[in-house]
Amino acid sequence: MADPASNKNGTARLADLKAKAGYVPVIRRNGFVYAFLSLLVLYAIFLLPAKGSPETLDLGRIILFCLLLLVWAILIFTDELKPEKMKTVIVFTIFIIAAWLYYRYSTARWGEMGFLFFNLEMIQKAWPTLVEGFWTTLLLAVCAAIMSTIIGLLLAIFRSFENRVLNFFIIAYVDFFRAMPIIVLMMLIYYALPFMGIRLSAIVSGILALGLNSSAYVSEIFRAGFLSVKKGQIEAANALGLNPIQTMRYVILPQAFRVVIPPLVGNYVASAKDTALASSISIIELLKAGLSQKSLLANPSPLIFVTALYLIMFVPLTRFSGYLEKRMKASQRQVRL
Amino acid sequence: MNDAETMIEVVDLHKHFKDLHVLRGISTTVKQSEVVAVMGPSGSGKSTFLRCLNRLEEPSSGHIYIEGVDILAPYIDINRVRTEIGMVFQSFNLFPHLTAIENIKLAPMSVRKLSDKEAVDRGMALLEKVDLAEKADTYPEQLSGGQQQRVAIARALAMQPQIMFFDEPTSALDPEMIGEVLDVMRNMAKEGMTMMVVSHEMGFIKEAADRILFLVDGEVVEDGTPDHIFNRTTHERTLEFLSKII
Ligand SMILES: Nc1ncnc2c1ncn2[C@@H]1O[C@H](COP(=O)(O)OP(=O)(O)O)[C@@H](O)[C@H]1O
Ligand SMILES: [Mg+2]
Repeated sequence: MADPASNKNGTARLADLKAKAGYVPVIRRNGFVYAFLSLLVLYAIFLLPAKGSPETLDLGRIILFCLLLLVWAILIFTDELKPEKMKTVIVFTIFIIAAWLYYRYSTARWGEMGFLFFNLEMIQKAWPTLVEGFWTTLLLAVCAAIMSTIIGLLLAIFRSFENRVLNFFIIAYVDFFRAMPIIVLMMLIYYALPFMGIRLSAIVSGILALGLNSSAYVSEIFRAGFLSVKKGQIEAANALGLNPIQTMRYVILPQAFRVVIPPLVGNYVASAKDTALASSISIIELLKAGLSQKSLLANPSPLIFVTALYLIMFVPLTRFSGYLEKRMKASQRQVRL
Repeated sequence: MNDAETMIEVVDLHKHFKDLHVLRGISTTVKQSEVVAVMGPSGSGKSTFLRCLNRLEEPSSGHIYIEGVDILAPYIDINRVRTEIGMVFQSFNLFPHLTAIENIKLAPMSVRKLSDKEAVDRGMALLEKVDLAEKADTYPEQLSGGQQQRVAIARALAMQPQIMFFDEPTSALDPEMIGEVLDVMRNMAKEGMTMMVVSHEMGFIKEAADRILFLVDGEVVEDGTPDHIFNRTTHERTLEFLSKII
């Protein structure tokens, strides 16, 4: 063997380090362990009831099976001397086995899947309601976003005055609406306020609840944005004779906006997802539309379609906000250098 | 010099930060076109003194008259006063989201209500003056420290102030960039600008300053010509300080 100190080979150096740390890979690489575990897994499979037998999968067997797989997987994955390719193959194998078992032994009616879940005819029937639900969802999301931006920005501006009394109320507001579950807020506004003589339509109640909740987060985001503007910037503006409003408009806001946009977009996306809660106060938004059509047609296809629609809308949006965040972090790094 | 107009008059100025008594009764007068250097050990209150004069800090007591106007009077619009006083900071404080020319034209346009063209003309003339005309459309982060500070000076001058304050304008600069900034300041002094400069650049002070205010622990311990302070002072604290910076 070559002298480990002069060996530039990565794997050898890794092994060297592990030896120093008291790492013993022998057992893990022992083929008998794998063979034994594999047998156990196979045994667990054969323990399962035969297809068509009245017996269904019982929880005990499922847990035992999963535990065995887990131990097996952990052993393989913590063995850093195994190539990545092999690990990947093993993972897929496990997935395929699990999927096959589920397919074979579950009570699902596989033959009717197409009819049940991807029934175009049903979706067509549900279409007008779904479209209406989509527009309602959009309306809720956009109105809540606008409302929360205005309130949040104003709160953050008031907060920056550092007035004690004002701050107390703003902090109380933010705490209240961050702590209050949106669905509770919706129900309060829609079902309880009428007893105080305030009667709001469902849609207004929904927008209000979403907007109030989101405004608490937005105000914190803007506050962080304002705090990120250095004190020297404000002093320079003041020294030039800019009044507080001009300073806010030309110096603080443009700088704060850069910092604020990624978390703000993230917040809008989160708030848009929360529109589904509006179904709880009889607003027929996308989810409720899907649900009602599911009941009406006695077929889950509309619901599946709605799910797909949520994904189509929100995967790009979450991606986009992630991208913005990454870009901002990169640009910050650049500025600091 | 006695017949020149008084630009700044400070009477018994005090400043407390909570329990900390930072300025302990400063009184002085600055005349038109006078260049006053403010020197003293770190923490002696030089920055606080300048910042009180345009009320970036609120003085605790005393009187400040800028061109005869009592700027501590309750009815005073401090933003009007500040347009008469240009200020240059140690850390430049350029607006990072604006280009050099945008930095310069912001205040003339928003405060003085100049048109875009007037502001750009004025800004370009000033950039010419600080020898940075070709950097007009550059963002601060792409400028060297010395260039940033010169833009900052141009930005302050764009308001056509009567008085300029400099708070250690070259302390954050690499040595090779100090000269270019001091050159600009020297020219301003020659053109008759009234200036108060916190600085320890001996060469510049000897050449350009008419007077030196020497501050220790928030008090003016000496007030004299550079020649007097550098060559003939007998004051113990001054000598001690000078021996450290030379
Ligand atoms: N905003 C502030 N709050 C509390 N203390 C301050 C503040 N600004 C300055 N000081 C204190 O006042 C003293 C004088 O500071 P400064 O005027 O910056 O001195 P110099 O510019 O001469 O170095 C220092 O002790 C400093 O810690
Ligand atoms: Mg200072």
